[in-house]
Amino acid sequence: MTETAAATTPWDELLDSEGRPRPAAAELIALIERLGPEELQARQAAAAADILTMGITFTVYSEGSNIDRAWPFDVIPRIIEAREWAAIERGLVQRLRALNMFIDDVYNERRCVADGVLPAELLVDSVNYRPQCEGVHPKFGVWAHISGSDLVRDADGTMYVLEDNLRVPSGVSYVIENRALAKKAFPELFGYLGIAPVDAYTDELNKLLASLAPDTVTEPSIVVLTPGIFNSAYFEHSFLAQRMGATLVEGGDLVVSDDDRVYMRTIGGLEPVDVIYRRIDDLFLDPAVFRPDSLLGVPGLMRAWRAGNVALANAPGSGVADDKVVYAWVPDLIRYYLGEEPLLPNVPTYRCLDPAERRFVLDNLRELVLKPANESGGYGILIGSRASDAQLQAQAEAIERDPRNWIAQPIIQLSTTPTLCPDGIEPRHVDLRPFVLTGETSYVTAGGLTRVALTKGSLVVNSSQGGGSKDTWIVDLGSGWGSY
Amino acid sequence: MLLARVADRLYWAARYLERAEDTARLVRAHGELMADLPPRLDTRWEPLLAVVGSGVRVLDANGDGSGVQTQTRSALDVEMAVVRFLATDRANPSSVVSSVIAARENLRTTRDTVPREGWHVVNDLYLYVTTEADRGADRRVRDRYLGRVIADGRRIDGILATAMTHDEAYVMWRLGRAIERADMTTRVLGVRAAAVLSLPEHLTPGVEDHDEVQWMGVLRSVWGLQMYQRAVRGPIEGSSVVRFLLEHDRFPRAVRALLREIRLALSELPEPGGPLDAVADVEAVVRDASAASTDGHALDAAMDQVQLAIARLDQRIHERYLRIGA
Repeated sequence: MTETAAATTPWDELLDSEGRPRPAAAELIALIERLGPEELQARQAAAAADILTMGITFTVYSEGSNIDRAWPFDVIPRIIEAREWAAIERGLVQRLRALNMFIDDVYNERRCVADGVLPAELLVDSVNYRPQCEGVHPKFGVWAHISGSDLVRDADGTMYVLEDNLRVPSGVSYVIENRALAKKAFPELFGYLGIAPVDAYTDELNKLLASLAPDTVTEPSIVVLTPGIFNSAYFEHSFLAQRMGATLVEGGDLVVSDDDRVYMRTIGGLEPVDVIYRRIDDLFLDPAVFRPDSLLGVPGLMRAWRAGNVALANAPGSGVADDKVVYAWVPDLIRYYLGEEPLLPNVPTYRCLDPAERRFVLDNLRELVLKPANESGGYGILIGSRASDAQLQAQAEAIERDPRNWIAQPIIQLSTTPTLCPDGIEPRHVDLRPFVLTGETSYVTAGGLTRVALTKGSLVVNSSQGGGSKDTWIVDLGSGWGSY
Repeated sequence: MLLARVADRLYWAARYLERAEDTARLVRAHGELMADLPPRLDTRWEPLLAVVGSGVRVLDANGDGSGVQTQTRSALDVEMAVVRFLATDRANPSSVVSSVIAARENLRTTRDTVPREGWHVVNDLYLYVTTEADRGADRRVRDRYLGRVIADGRRIDGILATAMTHDEAYVMWRLGRAIERADMTTRVLGVRAAAVLSLPEHLTPGVEDHDEVQWMGVLRSVWGLQMYQRAVRGPIEGSSVVRFLLEHDRFPRAVRALLREIRLALSELPEPGGPLDAVADVEAVVRDASAASTDGHALDAAMDQVQLAIARLDQRIHERYLRIGA
């Protein structure tokens, strides 16, 4: 644990500071003790075998032809008590409502700038701002229909929002698959403990997507647009299409005709498309408007969207609110648009754009985590306490060169959860990615994807960088599901 | 509603899986046949290579050109080289293992249209044939290896028939299965032609190479022995077997019965005119072919003609359904 040797002991999700099970985890811990290490390892092995058979995979970039990897799953779940979860859920719904009002405002009136809530230059410089989206009014004023905010818990037990993933967040299929695996691994507990089911997500997503169709359409034709088999989340694209009964399409399957409508190529000819759940980044969506070299997209798609003939979820340009610098303003935006106090806190964030805060960051690099504004997947992040002098020097220069591109946060001592490791059960750091659906109404997954850093002491939970996952149980100790 | 791209992948997944299964059945039946024959000929395994096309040969270490390499020409060496090439060699795109890999790759991109249970079988089979490929050709493992491919091929067909909506996607699957199956039946007959041709000059065809046992082997390769006996009620004799496998209109691996199945499948797709014309062409070629004698050259040439007609049908299906606007 040398690398994370911090002053404080991390919060453990299942055990209190005395090492006793937290109330919602008591049954699970008792069962694990009854089973003993060999039986637990056997159940882990059975889950691993199921993952292979069921073909639950994720894809890793640049591995030549061996692109399909088995999904790493730890059999011991992460547990959150239902009352705490209900509060988190309210906070997420509030946050996404405000973020959507912000995006709609940015591409239309820009009241937030006029009223001095947000500096104008922040928008102009955002690499995720899309001038092509100005003046568009998507249904319900909602742009980011599907989001996957990352939550982390600090040593004192506070749950923070670490980032909002508003572009093409992935992982929700694993929430559902992990549950299927956990049910097999712990049949003793399901049906006896009040564990909230997670299966409803795809149905809710389907309803949301259908609600986005142009008003003239009665039976909307919904498609999931994937970049294809080589994308890291292809498994999920296929999974979601399958669960929703939607058609999984690639760019080449779609065509925008002279009537500004989108069609798909079928064996019987061209068939209209009303709603596209797109899992392709903005810049690849439409080579006629964005990157002309994109082979993944559909020429004319933006034209059809702007004409209101097709719905895109998420709407292009949603990423403007996903900027790690805009993040620092989210609490202000919640107060501004909703007139409410944020229910879920941001991680304290220093904005290098501000001269005084920049000075502080440069003076305290070693105690901070530095994040570039527009990277995802954990790339480009520098953890000050683990960096060499040369790296810190380079970081300082990068900040001076482009202060707008950097924010800094104190190092959060990510909470841990007991995890089955080769030598037995050991604590490993976790985060949580719940998925939030926003349309006319809102929906939050019961729990979400718990990602775990499988390497001892590591804080990196990304599956592309050695992370694994766990099932997440929302356990109701009280009066059953009616209470919330 | 079926995307042209998805139709294409289902069609090919079905073809590849059928190819894997039929090749496995052929190799297995050939092994059983060899066990019944006297060890007089050292080229007994080589004719099997005709299944992937004419001109593929077993070459010893000094051989040049393309072919299946082996160290010496001992009987066991040739047998191992042939079985490896047909069953477990990834470099041969038509081998059992390559066909399973290709089937899985096609199905992987159409998982939303195929019942999960079906995908699981194919994925499981893929894991098995690739991890066991090193040992799969060994005599002691071979039967289990090939048997698994055959059994899983039947399983997936059963799952799709009973768990998949019989819509256009399923029709594409049936179409791929039937076309490959018809093609493979002609190839099994082609193997018999190659065996006759490979007979050393001092042996008389039809007498000293145990003709009846060999034609039984042909029927076993398509699971047809019992049904042949029920239908023919006479001795097992070459021209009658050829007629059965080409002309019977109810035995599910006979070419005519498969053309009937192809017609039925096509009639469920939009405007199948072009492909149906191509089916009629295949039928005409089959009629001529079944009149051909069982003399090696004539049978070989006749089967080539049927295969070419089937390839033209495949071409028409691609033009009509699988390459929309491309």
